[in-house]
Amino acid sequence: MAEYVFRLPDLAEGLEDAEIVEWRVKEGERVELNQLLGEVQTSKATVEMPSPRRGLVRKLHAAPGDLVRVGEPLVTFEIEEEPGVVGRVPQEARPARRVRLRLNTK
Amino acid sequence: MAELTLVQALNRALRDALREDSRALVFGEDVGRLGGVFRVTDGLQEEFGEQRVFDTPLAESGIVGTAIGLALAGWRPVCEIQFDGFSYPALDQVITNLAKYRGRTRGRASMPVTIRIPSFGGIGGPEHHGESPETYYAHTAGLKVVAPSGAADGYALLRAAIADPDPVIFLEPKSRYWSKEEVAGSTGELGRARVSRQGSHATLIAWGAMAFRCLQAAEAAAEDGVELEVVDCRSLVPLDVETLAASVRKTGRAVVVHEAPLTAGFGAEISARLMETVFDDLKAPVQRVTGYDVPYPPAAVEDAYLPDLDRILTAVQKVLDHG
Repeated sequence: MAEYVFRLPDLAEGLEDAEIVEWRVKEGERVELNQLLGEVQTSKATVEMPSPRRGLVRKLHAAPGDLVRVGEPLVTFEIEEEPGVVGRVPQEARPARRVRLRLNTK
Repeated sequence: MAELTLVQALNRALRDALREDSRALVFGEDVGRLGGVFRVTDGLQEEFGEQRVFDTPLAESGIVGTAIGLALAGWRPVCEIQFDGFSYPALDQVITNLAKYRGRTRGRASMPVTIRIPSFGGIGGPEHHGESPETYYAHTAGLKVVAPSGAADGYALLRAAIADPDPVIFLEPKSRYWSKEEVAGSTGELGRARVSRQGSHATLIAWGAMAFRCLQAAEAAAEDGVELEVVDCRSLVPLDVETLAASVRKTGRAVVVHEAPLTAGFGAEISARLMETVFDDLKAPVQRVTGYDVPYPPAAVEDAYLPDLDRILTAVQKVLDHG
């Protein structure tokens, strides 16, 4: 298990901070890559924030109404493995099947 | 030896080879200071220094060209091409020089070069990061082509590849990099397939990550009372036709599974070899379950592209129903 801290990115050129409008995830919740984490309000627009990682939301660093500066922590994730630079770590578990086999069908 | 991931097993194999053979060299993009994008070469530069483990420019043709020159000068290069899709710029050096050198020099100059290529899909990588290039290499005479499916074979076959006097294309299944297995730590033998599960009703044949998927399919089939044998080719060149044929002689039915597209994929070669060697024992035409004849798709739909359990089991039903 590794930790990954998602910091408020510069959502528009020269942006300094953003206000948390709402969270769509809770601490302790598992999220997928690109799942909607919540919305933030910048001086220019309301922006939806997709999750940069797949993992467990360990901590939300700000509450709705809070002002977060660019570069400050937004979400701390617990992530399963470091996949390296590219891609994701695949699941080891057996994938689902629907097709059932029949012997001696004739 | 302990239970290791495939990444750790490959790292161990490189480390042991560098320790035992002072002429072994490891180089490629980001393999030195960074330790490789998948950490396969982690810590090697630290232990063996920048003379033996070094970073190269982003120029795959240059990496292989350098390996050829070093091999001529008596070194034993193990180079990495960072991803399957970036191995193509080096095809010129591989096909034109590396594969031909022994013949060109009437046996005077061998090419003990190993080219490691993180290969195949299944990790949601972007374009150029999920390709199955095995057929290009298998069709180039003068090369050996190896694709392990897990950590134990990863260690054993990488040691064998490095020790081999001829060029070996070593395809590492990225989607198996984090899977763990007990690693014995001895050098294996190239050109030997492995029966990884015994069965009587049909034979599944695969390599790399699909060899593992076939084991999962065989597990699912067993729930329906169908016993599938799984043969992990491990090496495509040389191909262990004897082991494949022996299994199909026993079961009478075969399904070949690979990630690469169907047309002119290596499954066609295996199907032909079985037809040539065990025609009288076949109870059904050999089936192939493969990627589709399209460029490797974006990550969002790669699960629809890669052979899944249902596609494999559907092909199994087809060979079971025949005759």
